[in-house]
Amino acid sequence: MRPENYQAVQLGESNEYEIFIGPNHPGIEGNYAFRLQLDGDIVIKGTADAGYLHRGFEKLMEGRLWIQNLAIVPRICVPDPAPMEVVYSMAVEEIMGIQAPTRAQWIRVMQLELSRVAAHLFTFGGHAATVGMYTPMFWGVADRDLVLDLFEDFTGGRVYSIYNIPGGVRRELPDGFLQKVSNLLDYLESRQDDYDNLLFGNKIFVNRAKGVGTLSKKEALELGVTGPNLRACGLPFDIRKNDPYLVYEQLDFDIPTQAAGNAMARILVRRDELFQSIRILRQVIEKLPSIKGPIRTTIPNPLSWNVQAGEAYTRVESSKGELAYYVVSNGSDKPYRVHVRGPSSMHAVQTLEYLAKGARLEDIAQTMFSLDACPPEVDR
Amino acid sequence: MNAMNNKSIDEILAKVNGIKITHKRARRIRVDVAADSLTTVLELIKGQASYVHLSAISCVDWIDDNQFELVYHVWSYEENCLISAHTRIDREEAKFVSVYDLYKPADFFERDIFEMFGIFFIGSPRMEKFILTEWYGMPPMRKDFDSEAYVQETFNWTEYNPDWLQEITEQGGGIAIKPEEIRMAGQLHNMSTHREREKAKKDHVVGKGWKS
Repeated sequence: MRPENYQAVQLGESNEYEIFIGPNHPGIEGNYAFRLQLDGDIVIKGTADAGYLHRGFEKLMEGRLWIQNLAIVPRICVPDPAPMEVVYSMAVEEIMGIQAPTRAQWIRVMQLELSRVAAHLFTFGGHAATVGMYTPMFWGVADRDLVLDLFEDFTGGRVYSIYNIPGGVRRELPDGFLQKVSNLLDYLESRQDDYDNLLFGNKIFVNRAKGVGTLSKKEALELGVTGPNLRACGLPFDIRKNDPYLVYEQLDFDIPTQAAGNAMARILVRRDELFQSIRILRQVIEKLPSIKGPIRTTIPNPLSWNVQAGEAYTRVESSKGELAYYVVSNGSDKPYRVHVRGPSSMHAVQTLEYLAKGARLEDIAQTMFSLDACPPEVDR
Repeated sequence: MNAMNNKSIDEILAKVNGIKITHKRARRIRVDVAADSLTTVLELIKGQASYVHLSAISCVDWIDDNQFELVYHVWSYEENCLISAHTRIDREEAKFVSVYDLYKPADFFERDIFEMFGIFFIGSPRMEKFILTEWYGMPPMRKDFDSEAYVQETFNWTEYNPDWLQEITEQGGGIAIKPEEIRMAGQLHNMSTHREREKAKKDHVVGKGWKS
């Protein structure tokens, strides 16, 4: 609903009142509103109000060529766009019955993990800002910028790389690129103590984050929570391990978990995941030079490319959780239907409404950000 | 594996009328079932085989067949397998039963399909507008909604030629690149800026950190 169309609700003679938070506020990485019914500062009921970022991507994709859609998909989630291109490409590959060459798969893994690092750094800053700490925001964004520099170097785009293509990736890596990645990983590891001192071990943050937005494992499973939010409830589930894609089966990494299921547990899972991503990237740097071969298979002329009729449901583990695309082709040069299942559609609507009930007003922003929801995944 | 029950999916679903089970690839099973047996299938796979996570409900508008296809993607954390249950319903009637009792996330997906395709889910808790709160036309994801025609009807096309641009054009400037040259011009532009950036970055090593 447009804020100007919002009518304050008169709730009769009681202590209850309703306030409208949004669409711009610190609790979320994008435009999203939340209507709260309050008694004092206790939330009686929260209602999610999406639609501020609806651009009709799914409809747009039905009117564009298979290859043109690659320019649309990354825009569905700004902080973490790489998984969108990869999962779309994987879906088209599955329908066509082709496979990206091994080298392309390794490069994709590198792109995905770099994107995860960037997204988590952004989240640390945003989450800290919701409790009034702004230094982690500056650090997080500054360090994320170094990752974006790498993206610019090897894909040409800082945020939206549009680097994947069904059948592989577009370009070979530039000379000396892996050394640059290695340097960045050294730098990020050297920052670990700084971040721990400033954020993860800081009493100002820890005391505020503990006990906020607690979900049990059972509740999380019922509400369809996935990704780091599910792992923070103690379930060691990761699509990279349990439904492996690309070359994740050949990589050695752990699934970090926490038992508490609250905001602190969720950010700790993300912190550990960041270092697992660094571990994966180190293996990629070591392995990639020895993998020779093409970076993409031959595909027909993309401008007159009829993908055979079929359907595919592909999933990847994005930094937010389970990201899946359901792609249907009827044998024409455009997709018949693309359904985007963003992880945030579960986190930002039902889970958030569930957690808001009984919470205090000052915890709402933190609860929202600790779920790391990306509103465009809800709106699409 | 479920300790109580070691039956395979084929055995569990064998008695459902008119069911077709396809093992597409590792960890992907496709099930085609008539609309009236769909909830039975979901009840069986959730109750007998630990498929507890509703990953998504997708809707496809097969306008030529006058049908909607609903696809329920359900994942099992124990078996590490995804079942996609496909069913088709009549497009004119556009009604189906909700599976909210079985899977809570269905609330979001059913509301989304109600809004985008106009399928009413009987028993779903919130059959109301969510994303398109101020939209009163046809559900836009239906194939007979032509977004291009809608744009032509709703908006006026104007040529962008403001005063400041006219002044520049009169002085011999303005948009000098012809549309057919834009592609090449863009490439050259990117190359030069990239080189400049590389030059500027030459002394700055990423690994040395932010302060240097």
